[in-house]
Amino acid sequence: MNMDARPDGRRWMGVGQSSTTDARTAATQAARTALTGADPKLLIVFSAITYDPALVRAGVRDVVGADVPVIGCTTRGEICAGGANDGTVVVAAIGGPGFAVTTAAAENVAGRQREAGEELGRSVTEIPNLPHRVLVVLTDGLVREQEQIVRGCYGVLGASVPLFGGSGADGWRMKQAYLLSGDRVLTNAVVAATIHSEAPLSVGVRHGFRPVGEPMIVTGSRDGRIQTVDDRPALDVYLERLGAPPEAYTEKEALMRFALPRPLGLQRRNSVDARNVSTQIDLAGRSLGGGGNFDHGGLVWAMTGDEQSILAATDAACQEALAGLGGREPVGLLTISCAAIRAILDDEALRRDNARLAKWAEAAPFAGFYAYGEIARARGIHGFHNQTLAVLALG
Amino acid sequence: MTSIGGAYHDGQQLLELLSVVSECSDEESAAYAAVERAARALDAEVAAVVIDDEVAAVVGFPVGRVPADDLVAVANRELDNVDVPGVGRCRAISADWGGGRPGHLVLARWGEQGFSVEERNIVRGMARLLELALTMLRTLQAEHEMRERSERQAAENAELLVSLQQRQRLLEHLFDVQKAISRRRPLPQVLDMIASAARQLLGDGAVGLWLRDDSDPQQITLVAGDGPAVDTGPVTPTMPLAEAGTVGAAILSGRLVVCEDDSADGIASMAAPVHDSGTITGGLVVLAERPGRVYAPPEVQMLQSFAEHVSLALTDANTVDRMHQAFHDSVTGLASRSLFLDRLAHQLELTGHGGSRVALLFIDLDRFKAINDTLGHAAGDTLLTITADRIVAQLRDSDVAARFGGDEFAVMLRNVSTPVDAAKVADRILHGLHEPMRIAGRQLQVNASIGIALSTHGMTDPAALVRRADIAMYRAKRNGRGRYDVFADEMLLAFSDEPLGH
Repeated sequence: MNMDARPDGRRWMGVGQSSTTDARTAATQAARTALTGADPKLLIVFSAITYDPALVRAGVRDVVGADVPVIGCTTRGEICAGGANDGTVVVAAIGGPGFAVTTAAAENVAGRQREAGEELGRSVTEIPNLPHRVLVVLTDGLVREQEQIVRGCYGVLGASVPLFGGSGADGWRMKQAYLLSGDRVLTNAVVAATIHSEAPLSVGVRHGFRPVGEPMIVTGSRDGRIQTVDDRPALDVYLERLGAPPEAYTEKEALMRFALPRPLGLQRRNSVDARNVSTQIDLAGRSLGGGGNFDHGGLVWAMTGDEQSILAATDAACQEALAGLGGREPVGLLTISCAAIRAILDDEALRRDNARLAKWAEAAPFAGFYAYGEIARARGIHGFHNQTLAVLALG
Repeated sequence: MTSIGGAYHDGQQLLELLSVVSECSDEESAAYAAVERAARALDAEVAAVVIDDEVAAVVGFPVGRVPADDLVAVANRELDNVDVPGVGRCRAISADWGGGRPGHLVLARWGEQGFSVEERNIVRGMARLLELALTMLRTLQAEHEMRERSERQAAENAELLVSLQQRQRLLEHLFDVQKAISRRRPLPQVLDMIASAARQLLGDGAVGLWLRDDSDPQQITLVAGDGPAVDTGPVTPTMPLAEAGTVGAAILSGRLVVCEDDSADGIASMAAPVHDSGTITGGLVVLAERPGRVYAPPEVQMLQSFAEHVSLALTDANTVDRMHQAFHDSVTGLASRSLFLDRLAHQLELTGHGGSRVALLFIDLDRFKAINDTLGHAAGDTLLTITADRIVAQLRDSDVAARFGGDEFAVMLRNVSTPVDAAKVADRILHGLHEPMRIAGRQLQVNASIGIALSTHGMTDPAALVRRADIAMYRAKRNGRGRYDVFADEMLLAFSDEPLGH
């Protein structure tokens, strides 16, 4: 598949996808298709967990030399214009004299997430005549407290650099996700690329869920999990509020299935954040948790979403990202969406969502993946999200 | 949903800050945790703590590029903005604290709009809490070092050791109380905890917390206490404020009162006023065990600290109450008007991007006033409750019903394609309400008039949709009651020269 890269002489982006069974061949094909211009500066690889990551890395290297930085991760599904959503390798390439890229990686992240984020933050430099920057971060989605990684980055960079990225996934097996960094395959790590550009780089993010019923107060929390809301066991209140079937109260699998498309909304100053509570199930303690800490006294909502609300969020995230380009056409979009959305959108609906992305991208290519968490910080300090679509528009 | 949630959110920020800071073991980490939390609370890019004209903690700037002079200038009110790399010039505010080591909490945020009055209040509250927490940590640290030294020379310094241990216990008690408040332990439990800690540390005969009565502010009631004088106290611990001695004086004067020689029974006492959301609502009093008790300055400070914690607990508990009231109609249990409008605004924003529409039904009971006047308010309330149940019975889970006040109800229907869809629901509601109701021993039949309006493309203002449904409802009333009418643009013209009333 060949996708329009809109090379403009100074900056270009290209995207390739392959579903060939052999991992090395698939990566080679996707990378070759993505290279639509001269002077490539970065390849970002999104690979299905079914491929051997070492072979994917080798396949990419068959196409570009060691002088071209590569980062990547495994997924819960790949995203690109009109492409299949599973079992593929998607490669996004950017290049041209209007871009410059540096990459970094932090390892042994579990237990020192904030420190790892600080390391990546310190890797960010400034390059004369390329005033616009973004730090693209891909994490191992099975490491806990991902929020701390983003806080670590912010602690070093402050508001000077927008953050964008996502948590690498493993096709919902919840065993092991992999990251690519140059010639290495990493786990329990974070990889990052700083994109420097002549033109604006702009981040947008939205979730597509709406609150159900009245808000609830977190009346008890411990170790970042909610024990009680409105003085009753948190899990039971959440299930009651959403009219859950009886098996969701007692069976882990049923509860995971039920909770996946129904995040818990956490009140923020001007918005409600959606938090996925389906991955850290606690049937015995009847508590809720996931996607970051919950504090005492916070205001939470049971939430639900449907195709309409998710498509609306896709529109809003794209609009927000594109608005930041100051009237320029994008050379491409990176789109990182939440794995949980796939519990709401069937294949047909996913295609409609994909068509919506294509509408906003117009002639520009786009690429991304379904993640276990999304990173998007343009304003304020908050940058780690759940159940959202995060969009990076490259001007 | 954000306006109500936002207001509540403000109230939470103080507690969350307290919760985060009280987990820290030293001043430096507490200050950093506080700035990060403050920036998150206000969606700000920058937060800093400035002490002694130096930046003690800051977040939002690249390392090595902190404009310390500008932050100090903001702290000293010489500047109201700072340049934030990557963002540009941001509006900045500062809140101060006094005490032994004065400091400032500085916030800066990008955007056209500056910080609102509410936000400034939040920042002030955060600064006060931060002062309390930092002072405690500093004292704990200093005393820990002193205690290690003094333990080495314990023999000659036994007295100092006792005093230091006692003050350490104060700080530990206060931390426990702060955690209890932030973990939303029931209010009576928190108040008892404070009373018992105060008695243990002051070593006095009794401690009592007296609060003014809601119905008669000249009366005060004992709501928590510790000690024999309390246990054997009067059956109804209520007394007129004017006869309440030391605690009465503290409440009336708004200041801490120490009474060592002229109390009626020769027993010394001292009392400090307590506040709820800034208003004096009562006093915390300690009574000496035996005559001749003298209160040393540190003991006076201790009582003041406990009184401040009572105020924090009261304010927080009432914030929760007020939040519940803001969301629910107390008679019918339906959503309140403010929650409904909030939810409507959210839904309009969602549908603005998609194809379907939102329908609003404005329902007004016909001749409700006559029933209320004839059968009394209790019957009126029963009628409203039955009405609410019958409306809700006709709705899907995703629809929202609210009582707007008086005999007015509103219903929001999601995902509606045409007025016909909404009209079907209105028709069902009319039939449901028309079924006889048994109220105050009588069989009553109620009619309602319903106005229907559908959102138009790009409509974002919930008030506009409510107004349209209201106009349609008025038309239904004029067209003979017990019916519904769908809003049409020409109705706006018809209403332009007559006042809206029904």
